[in-house]
Amino acid sequence: MRSPIGVARLLFPIAFRNLFASKARSFTVGGIVLIGSLVVVVGSAVVDTIDSSMRGSVQGSLAGHLQIYSARSKDELSLYGKMGGQSSQLEPIEEFGALRRVLAHVPNVKDVVPMGIEMAMVTTGNEFDQALEKLRADVRQGAQGPGIAARYEAHKAHLRRMSALLRDEIRDASVLTDPEALKGSEAVRERADRERAASDGFWRGFDADPLANLEFLENRIAPQSLSNAYTMIRYVGTDLESYQRAFDRVRVVEGTAIPRGQRGILVGKLFAEDWLKLRAARLLDRIADARTNRGRRIATDEELHRWVKELQGQKREILLQLDPMQAAEATARLRGALGSQRTELPDLLGELFVCDDRNFDQHRAIFYRQLAPLLQLYSVGVGDVITLKAPSRSGYMNSVNLKVYGFVEFRGLEKSTAAGYLSIMDLVSWRDLYGYMTAEKAAEIGDIKSRAGAREVERANAEAELFGESGAPVDENARPGRIETPAIAGTAARGAGSKHHATYSQEEIDSGVVLNAAVVLRDPARTREAMRDVKAALSSAHMDMKVVGWQEAAGALGQFVSLARIILFTAVFFVFAVALVIINNAMVMATLQRVKEIGTLRAIGAQKRFIIAMMLLETSAVGLAFGAAGTLLGVGAVAVIRLAGGFPATNDTMYFFFSGRSLLPHLGGLSLAISLAIVFLVSALSSLYPALIATRVTPLEAMQSDD
Amino acid sequence: MVPIVSVECVSKTYWLGKTEVPALRDVSLDVHCGEFLSVAGPSGSGKTTLLNLIGCIDTPTGGRVVVGGKDTSALTERQLTDLRLHRIGFIFQTFNLVSVLSVKQNVEFPLLLQGGLTRRERDARVRGVIEAVGLERQAAHRPNELSGGQRQRVAVARALVTRPGLVLADEPTANLDSRTGATIIDLMRQMNSRDGTTFVFSTHDPKVMAHASAIVRIADGQIVAREALNGAVAAGGY
Repeated sequence: MRSPIGVARLLFPIAFRNLFASKARSFTVGGIVLIGSLVVVVGSAVVDTIDSSMRGSVQGSLAGHLQIYSARSKDELSLYGKMGGQSSQLEPIEEFGALRRVLAHVPNVKDVVPMGIEMAMVTTGNEFDQALEKLRADVRQGAQGPGIAARYEAHKAHLRRMSALLRDEIRDASVLTDPEALKGSEAVRERADRERAASDGFWRGFDADPLANLEFLENRIAPQSLSNAYTMIRYVGTDLESYQRAFDRVRVVEGTAIPRGQRGILVGKLFAEDWLKLRAARLLDRIADARTNRGRRIATDEELHRWVKELQGQKREILLQLDPMQAAEATARLRGALGSQRTELPDLLGELFVCDDRNFDQHRAIFYRQLAPLLQLYSVGVGDVITLKAPSRSGYMNSVNLKVYGFVEFRGLEKSTAAGYLSIMDLVSWRDLYGYMTAEKAAEIGDIKSRAGAREVERANAEAELFGESGAPVDENARPGRIETPAIAGTAARGAGSKHHATYSQEEIDSGVVLNAAVVLRDPARTREAMRDVKAALSSAHMDMKVVGWQEAAGALGQFVSLARIILFTAVFFVFAVALVIINNAMVMATLQRVKEIGTLRAIGAQKRFIIAMMLLETSAVGLAFGAAGTLLGVGAVAVIRLAGGFPATNDTMYFFFSGRSLLPHLGGLSLAISLAIVFLVSALSSLYPALIATRVTPLEAMQSDD
Repeated sequence: MVPIVSVECVSKTYWLGKTEVPALRDVSLDVHCGEFLSVAGPSGSGKTTLLNLIGCIDTPTGGRVVVGGKDTSALTERQLTDLRLHRIGFIFQTFNLVSVLSVKQNVEFPLLLQGGLTRRERDARVRGVIEAVGLERQAAHRPNELSGGQRQRVAVARALVTRPGLVLADEPTANLDSRTGATIIDLMRQMNSRDGTTFVFSTHDPKVMAHASAIVRIADGQIVAREALNGAVAAGGY
């Protein structure tokens, strides 16, 4: 063809006129392409948005751009826990400082943040402890003045009522207990203690020795309290300073950051909401969230209905918190707010907790305005010291007492249990809980063993060794086991962080063990190169480490984006595979109907390539026209979805994926380009076979007389 | 005088399943420049096959066809297509216009495939042939807006627009009433007289044959006679 422009002038009118000449075919083919491109545009917008919002939240709160952990680890790193909620079993990195020094030479590395993510038991406290704390404060102050004296009496009356309640509750519960178990000496002693604490005599003589009596209540009664529960807390131990510098998504929502060099913990806000908050308040919050954010109604929603019923069961927890003075105040406030004639607090609470869609907001407001100021809403508050217990790596239980400096949220992941439950503590306390046996420590213990004359004994020979029947020569030098006190004291001091030194230095952070490290890059756009450089640097320093990106580090949750993308691409693939078949069939039919025309064109001098170009142009024109229409519709659909507030997150996992309450999809230029490219490719592919058929049409077909 | 077409001992055999059907048997024919040659014979006699071979849209089983001095058996498919584009015009029994193009676009089509002309030259050429076939008022019409006779005029214009040396017309009047058929043959004859374009057309209609300068009669795949008419010289060769 010697004149491309001239040929194009031929091809276009033929292609477009043919499209209009067979409207049904064009619209069928176009409709499929339109749906396909619509799916591509909306789907990619959703997946891309999840990707970018999750990327921002996860990278900005915990993962950084890269994560490094020991290649000898049993598990793969999963920052948000494995399936089932356990932490990944990672081999420790013995000296974090060495890792930091190696990575300091990689140009794109801005910061390296040491980490260890573990779980520990934390006591959530109980009402008995709180009431004891109040009375102990009164005793310490001394009963000076009528106001204080009245409060002291009120606190005493409160504890007395709680003791009686506890006695009755355990008596009721013991009906279900094995009678033999109740005959044990400890059980008998506990029962006697409960009877004593609830007796008139005990309280009459309380003032004679208040401190001794408080100790009795604290040691013998409080531990028996049924609500004395532990819960598991998940935390990351880290260098707080570099953590705050590296992760901008973390914010302290209450309290303050942990001061430099101080031990302490920042408790995850969502964890506090779900596990440390007064249950009645938690239920009210949940119902409010379901009503406000998810449009659910008590009248029609079975779960909300059940929660409202559960509220009735929360009266006891509130009553136990209030001493007689507070109870009187609460009674007065509730009577006023509810406009009720009832005089008993339990009745008034019952009335408050009878909620329906009409009065719920009002009753919740009354709870928070009138009752909450008299209650301790969270079992742990800013400034409290909490005890965390965890099995150490060496096998024994470690515990640390840590001051709660505040509550933290991870912006974007506030409502996700996977991320929002995470608390942050200083690295040194984390190490105390983790209890890793460093080479230095192992050498120290080895030294103690040798001084004590201990040696490894085969299990089979243990008896003979113990009783001297083996005939084996007895080590004349071995001394009876006398373990030197300072060595043990040292170990014990590590075990109980609170007894250990309260501050620490940067050197201490660098010189100890961590489980993983987050790498923050100067230029995140070059993450792939940075990963290669980091791997090379670690390899040349003979450090056997794994380096992974944020998605892999975030475990199964992080890989949701890839999964979603695979699902989307599979769906798109099927849509377009169907499109391909249908377009192909339609075009084959069209080609067969046009055999004579094609034959004529060939006869009067059109080369085969002209025929191919004509066929491809026709299908591509349909593909592009309808593909563009589908893309525009997709853009419109995304805009409508955004205007309607996006896709709401209906559960915790969706909160994590959406990194917020809802997903507001946004369009990326790349998605649009990909969409059009796919449409174009499918159109072209689907017309290849018809085009091939067309090229096989010989000029002889033009001579056929049957039209 | 060198013939524009030389058919030398050509045979063409088709296969219908396992049955061999000879369409042409050892046919030889020379067509000279300026002839207005009619190939006559009953249906199935081999007229169309002969035209197909001359028009390079089919290849012989035996013998050779020389068009414009070129042995067509030595040409590639692409060269054959080029030969058709530049040397031969086609008029079909069923007009074979591109239904989605206008009269002007249909006529212009071969020129665009050829290239080489400016737009102005092309327009002038197209306008000229359309005027010559009397369709200047229908230039913007689509084929389905035209009568059968008008459509065949468009086909004539399309065949002539490249100024080919040879125009092949297979039963050009078969789908037209006799009056319209006669006007088409008159038109072809005019073009033959005016430009000296060689026409070879097949027909079984004696009235149409009467317009020819010579008639080649064909029966059962063989040329049985060649007759000169209207005082024209019948070139030998069979």
